[in-house]
Amino acid sequence: MADTTNKEQWQPKILAFLCNWCSYAGADLAGTSRLQYPPNVRIIRLPCSGRVNPIFIVEALRQGADGVLVSGCHPGDCHYLAGNYYARRRFALLQRYLEYLGIEPGRVQFSWVSASEGGRFAEVVTKVTEDVRALGPSRHLNINAVATKK
Amino acid sequence: MSALQTVRDTVAGWLRSGEIELFIGYEAGTVPLRATPTFIRNPEDVDRLIWDATCENNLAAFLPKYRGKKVGIMVKGCDSHAVIGLLQEGQVIRENLRIVGVHCPGVVDVRRVAAQLGVPVEQIDDARIEGEQVIVGEQTLALRDVLFEGCQTCTCHAPAIYDVTLGEPVVDAAEGDSFAHVREMEALSAEERWVRFAQELERCNLCFACRNACPMCYCNICFVDRSMPRWFNQTTQPEDKQFYQVMRTFHLAGRCVGCGACTRACPQGINIRLFLDKLRADVQELYGYEAGEDAEAKPPLTTYREDDYNDFIL
Repeated sequence: MADTTNKEQWQPKILAFLCNWCSYAGADLAGTSRLQYPPNVRIIRLPCSGRVNPIFIVEALRQGADGVLVSGCHPGDCHYLAGNYYARRRFALLQRYLEYLGIEPGRVQFSWVSASEGGRFAEVVTKVTEDVRALGPSRHLNINAVATKK
Repeated sequence: MSALQTVRDTVAGWLRSGEIELFIGYEAGTVPLRATPTFIRNPEDVDRLIWDATCENNLAAFLPKYRGKKVGIMVKGCDSHAVIGLLQEGQVIRENLRIVGVHCPGVVDVRRVAAQLGVPVEQIDDARIEGEQVIVGEQTLALRDVLFEGCQTCTCHAPAIYDVTLGEPVVDAAEGDSFAHVREMEALSAEERWVRFAQELERCNLCFACRNACPMCYCNICFVDRSMPRWFNQTTQPEDKQFYQVMRTFHLAGRCVGCGACTRACPQGINIRLFLDKLRADVQELYGYEAGEDAEAKPPLTTYREDDYNDFIL
């Protein structure tokens, strides 16, 4: 685990919820293709992006994730036909809502990555990692954050 | 015979004929400017029923507790939208309901009364409503100045679903954006918005009054009560309070009818509406949907369109 107390050595911790059929396979392809991407991401495999309950995302932030990435199949490609369509509605509202409450834009991001898009997966992870790195350690909703404590 | 007496007689008739076994209405409360919900099973008790600007509870919150029973209920305009929401989600059956819809000019906010008089809420002990005026001790205030914030921009004075009505139709607030407070918050910077949110939530003592007052919060096991997995720690940590409010409000996305019952129920005066109304505004903007309007409509998060808003995806 990265040392989160030392500012210079700080590395963002990013939790990624990937759907089993597309994005997880995309991550696998990135690996087997020997593509480089930042090692800051911890992956949780789920059956579908539709399985991602918004509480997972908020709980991840609460437990100290600096960023959260949710990735699923492209619209129309869902293994369960429509799981990602339902998920998209929830995520759109959640992302706007969290930003409304003051969570910095970029902490919680969503993407569609298919099983053949290993390169795309590496790009997405790089982008999210850099966005979160620019934002710095998570300060809001984080039960372990030092900055928000009085 | 007064309009209220006519309603009382109607309710007594329903109870006598067995059309309903219980009527949920309001009676005079023990605290000034606050009526209390009353549950009438006996036709002789209907004279307890009252209606005035102190009837602030959303009685629709009781309906899921009487699932399958034949009940009568008194609803204001906003409450009637909650009844529609419950019908939509299959929590109540229209045939089981007898609804007294009230044309509601708005309900009084005791905190505003106290603020106008410059005294703590607890010190208001002799107060009553007479017509358009609130009389507190020797002083008189105009009722429209001390209405609940949400009532001042209300666009649903008239009940949307009813069997009989009470009161005269009220004209909706002419102009006035009902999401003005949301736009104001959106105009702040991210950090300012967080401070606003955190400051409001600092006062939360996790009493769950907002959840209990909410007509749409009827989950048999709420996520805060769940032990497997245990999502929530009931501590005084600000992050736990924030987590509770974020998740409770988000569970109402596309379902909140904006009645404001949570905000009125909060003993700490937290402006919960400010957060929930963002969700209502977004649901309207993105999915063109307003909760509690149409009992046949599908709630926005239980359906989708292929061309839904996708710009936020990387």
